[in-house]
Amino acid sequence: MRKFIETRTMPVLFILLISFLLSACGADSGADNQQNVNPRKDNNSAGTYKGPVANGADAQNFKISLWDNIVLPGRCVDCHNSLSNGQAPLFADFANVNTAYAAANTIVNLNDPATSRLVTKVGEGHNCWLNSDTACVDILTRFIQNWAGDSAGTAKEIVLRAPQIKDPGATKTFPADSSDFSNTVYPLLTQYCSDCHVEGIQTPFLASANVDAAYEAAKSRIDLEVPAASRLVIRLRNDFHNCWDGNCATSSQEMETAINTFVNGLSTEAVDPNLVNSKALTLLGDGLFANSGGRFEDNIIALYEFKEGKGDTANDTSATEPALKLSLRGNVKWVGGWGIQIGPAYTDMETNTSYPNGKAQGSTFDSKKLHDKIKATGEYSLEAWVVPSNVSQENARIMTYSGSSEARNFTLGQSLYNYEVLHRSSTTDQNSVFATADADQRLQASLQHVVVTFAPGQGRKIYVNGQFTGDVDPQPAGNLSEWDDTYAFVLGNETDSNSLWQGTLRMVAIHNRALTESQIQQNFEVGVGEKFFLLFSVSHLIDTAEPNNADDFIIFQASQLDSYSYLFTEPYFISLNETPELNNIPLKGLRLGINGKLAPVAQSFQTVDMTLDNSLYDSSTGQSISRLGTLIAIQKGAASDEFFLSFEQIGSHTNVIVEATPSPSAPVDLPEAADIGLKTFDEVNVSMSVMTGVATTHSGVQTTFEKVKQQLPSVENIDGFLSAHQMAMTQLAIQYCDALVEDTTLRGSFFAGFNFNESANTAFDTDGRNQIISPLLSRFVGSNLTSQPADLEVETELNSLIDKLNACANTSSCDAQRTPTIVKASCAAVLGSATTLIQ
Amino acid sequence: MSVFFPHLCQSKLLSLMIGLSLLTLSSQSLADEREQAKRIHDRIAGVPPSATVLDDMAADILAGRVEDAAYTAMDHTAFYDVTLKNLAAPWTNEAMTSFVPLNDYTATVIGLVRDEADFRTVLYGNVLYEGDGSLGLTPYSVQNNAHYEELEAGGYSLKDNLVSVAQSTRLGIPASATAGVMTTRASAQAFMIDGTNRALFRFTVLNHLCNDMEQLNDTSLPSDRIRQDVSRSPGGDSRIFMNNCIGCHNGMDPLTQAFAYYNYDYDPDTDPDGQNGRMVYNDAGMLDAFTGSRVQKKYRINANNFEYGYITEDDRWDNYWRSGRNQLLGWDNSLSGSGSGAKSMGQELAHSEAFASCQVKKVFKAVCLRNPVDATDRNQVAQITSSFQSNGYRLKQVFAETAAYCMGD
Repeated sequence: MRKFIETRTMPVLFILLISFLLSACGADSGADNQQNVNPRKDNNSAGTYKGPVANGADAQNFKISLWDNIVLPGRCVDCHNSLSNGQAPLFADFANVNTAYAAANTIVNLNDPATSRLVTKVGEGHNCWLNSDTACVDILTRFIQNWAGDSAGTAKEIVLRAPQIKDPGATKTFPADSSDFSNTVYPLLTQYCSDCHVEGIQTPFLASANVDAAYEAAKSRIDLEVPAASRLVIRLRNDFHNCWDGNCATSSQEMETAINTFVNGLSTEAVDPNLVNSKALTLLGDGLFANSGGRFEDNIIALYEFKEGKGDTANDTSATEPALKLSLRGNVKWVGGWGIQIGPAYTDMETNTSYPNGKAQGSTFDSKKLHDKIKATGEYSLEAWVVPSNVSQENARIMTYSGSSEARNFTLGQSLYNYEVLHRSSTTDQNSVFATADADQRLQASLQHVVVTFAPGQGRKIYVNGQFTGDVDPQPAGNLSEWDDTYAFVLGNETDSNSLWQGTLRMVAIHNRALTESQIQQNFEVGVGEKFFLLFSVSHLIDTAEPNNADDFIIFQASQLDSYSYLFTEPYFISLNETPELNNIPLKGLRLGINGKLAPVAQSFQTVDMTLDNSLYDSSTGQSISRLGTLIAIQKGAASDEFFLSFEQIGSHTNVIVEATPSPSAPVDLPEAADIGLKTFDEVNVSMSVMTGVATTHSGVQTTFEKVKQQLPSVENIDGFLSAHQMAMTQLAIQYCDALVEDTTLRGSFFAGFNFNESANTAFDTDGRNQIISPLLSRFVGSNLTSQPADLEVETELNSLIDKLNACANTSSCDAQRTPTIVKASCAAVLGSATTLIQ
Repeated sequence: MSVFFPHLCQSKLLSLMIGLSLLTLSSQSLADEREQAKRIHDRIAGVPPSATVLDDMAADILAGRVEDAAYTAMDHTAFYDVTLKNLAAPWTNEAMTSFVPLNDYTATVIGLVRDEADFRTVLYGNVLYEGDGSLGLTPYSVQNNAHYEELEAGGYSLKDNLVSVAQSTRLGIPASATAGVMTTRASAQAFMIDGTNRALFRFTVLNHLCNDMEQLNDTSLPSDRIRQDVSRSPGGDSRIFMNNCIGCHNGMDPLTQAFAYYNYDYDPDTDPDGQNGRMVYNDAGMLDAFTGSRVQKKYRINANNFEYGYITEDDRWDNYWRSGRNQLLGWDNSLSGSGSGAKSMGQELAHSEAFASCQVKKVFKAVCLRNPVDATDRNQVAQITSSFQSNGYRLKQVFAETAAYCMGD
């Protein structure tokens, strides 16, 4: 049974139901790999082919695309060559290319090069000439693609096969009550995490006084399958998050031990029998490889897909000789789902080993390929899938072909939110920057596809996620005649290791032509990384025609998003029956499960509520369930984690999930707070206005208030009182009192009976003082208020102040202005004091 | 006018002021009804009472009419010009500072309190307060704040000079698109400018439900409504999303969708702070050129950060917080928990227990000058909240009851 399905990244899916029993059989299973010999060791002039010419166009294509590449010393020619009595098939025969052509035709599939026996044999571990079988597989595939004329980026058909049918496995689950937790993990949390992770301070409330609340918060941070992978452990061990006793190694170990104790006390339980589940799958074991190709790579001269996953070399799988392999140095880590992560220098505390800033660098000899092939065309394109770690790094090299920090042929770098391009041409300074516009913030700390193209006619262009950014190269294009062939190609840093770029590279490619916008868009649409189709069987839940056949599936595209999560996207239903009976079959509450339990976080399909119906179903494309995608945290790894789907309802099967009622957090008492406080800036201003009778709109007052208001208290908290507040109070009080005393009407009303025109030599006698102090007490301090200072105390202070300011009266030498000045001072002394400020 | 004191004189003054301050602080003691009256007036109006008012309030307190005394304090214009203005001003800007000019958001809060309106309408009413036309101020403008700045600078009593108008008539949006202070010009300038409109939601919840996103973090909810612009692997580490980002965005994004048709339009080149910008709303038939729908472009930016994320098609909102631990916010069971547009979403927020409790907590802080610290305080807050809910959500009553609680012994 075959069906063809259109999707965006996979133009044609070819569905073929094949028994899983058959899928276990290989073409030559059981055959041992044989020891390589080197037949050409006695034929060291083998660089010159002396046999007959290729017979026909296809044979000539074979020679150019495949044969020429596999007869290089150290490759297939070492065995599969008649000149050395080599092994059949003689597809690398150096005596006669036509013999080789005939043999090769028996072990290649030009319609699907990746499935050629020539390729799969190497993939099984058969004498790869590099340190990575996957690199040899990719290179051989590309050779055969070139032979087949498939290099123009045609997407291939993908054959979907029904997986082995199996139920979700038993697993450990969290017990309903928190008693085990309270005796194992909880004590550590309350002892070491309660300064922050409690109610009222910071979520998650792991150290809540309410153990049930803490247990709920901790569940999603405890990994029952792999305790060491628990978030509670990782935050200590890897993130150095507030370790105790200053030692993250022992803190994390203590936490891991506690979780182990908790987990060991749990018995393995079967999957919750109430769940309505699909059959189960693993990603690598059951997933169908979904990378359909389709990239435009006609002019590719270097390619890094980072499939190796281990080792210290990233291979160039462009199949363009010579290979420009890169040595991984310093802090470079492999990323799940293909990629490398480049990070800063660090010291491994466990081994006491220091690692410098990361980078991946090729030799200058191998890097010369870039110079030669790009200079030959005068054009280039730099293409990468990147995940910048942040948007705060500057002078950071994503990729560079350079001799030093100031000598280069080209550089693609990051500066904050911008991509930067520098290059050497006949018209450009090699160190002048062409960058994306600041305001556009093109660069984001997420997975992005970035391409830089250069051609003499158009200069440099930058494309992000398939779109031309619109930024115009400020310099004339020129040509590449001045390129230097002694530089090295480096990823993630400069040759001197001083321009680190922190981030993840999922793919890097160099082309010796300027890609067109449509070609770039095409490559962007293909995406990056290793992708699979997961076919979750639901035949046991819905009966569309043949109840005994496992022929109804919900299919997800799945991949590893990064080293920590899987990405599940775009689920759809499809039946392998030609005419399935879909009569309003309800499908509701779809959840993803992993290792026997529902994933605790990111259930994006939980809200699905639909019906499967013939009116919505297409026999080729099935029926879409959602265009969304979501993540599942990796637990054991892609080879071991087992996934399943669960439903609130599918067909006649239901599982009503009853949500637990959350319990309110226990309130936490706060420290006792002062019962009094400060008046804030506006309150001070208006209070002074009310007390003096001077309007807040008085020009002098308004000017002073605007000047000092941010120096006055902004919050009532009396513990926040500062000397600066008092200075501002003083200035404002002086201004108000000045306005009061300078206004004859106001002062006449306020200080009734006081003669402001009388000399200070005589004005401040007993009556005069009383005429000043009494209104200040009644208007500013108030009467019969025990919270305010006693009248006598204030009088004493004010008399003392007047005595000091009026010392000139002792010699009858006071000037004419002394009288109002003393009144203003007395006024301000009370107005600007705590009698006004405190409430 | 220049200030006249010689330096020496100012030093002496300062010494004396500090001396008086110490006298004051050291003489805090048991308060009788006069002390209680003064404290109530100080706390409510922000200014000391006149002798007459103090006597009157003290008499009320002595007669057991404490709330009458509090209402007397609320008769002072400073309650509106100072206390309420500075209570609301921090809600109108991201820096949460009081040092901002009077604006339509603040004025509307003051007006609703003054008129003893159902305070819940602050988040969904078709209401706006402005200066009385008789003042001769520059009229209300959708493109600047001049009207309110003149009202404030003129020293006009907000108690006497604020008038209520239909917000829709001033902002040029349909009545159905009004949502109280959320759709005022000041709110738009502060929270709809640039970005994704999530700021408007966050600060509304922070200021009116007294919870920041961090406190509402719940990773257990469905993540289907998280938009495409949220990276699922920030910097290449999806643990950050799975443990942090998701816990806020799963609830926030489906609620913030209510603002999908709003934006703040300004010229970033000539007016980088948007002082002369205006709120815009895509009414029926008005299509955004980028989205081809009424949805503003800002809801679709950075779509490649996660192409499998949610694509906003309309302004339908859903309250996912009715499940999970945030159901403790106390949602109104008479409402459906979903709808379209800011008005119904504002009603969803305003009808929660958290909203009512939050208003009381804010008043408690303003009047008692501290947060509730113990069970006694918390019980009192609960009691006042209950009273607030059962008496028409009038905030003046909350001030009165709170002042009575904190007036001292």
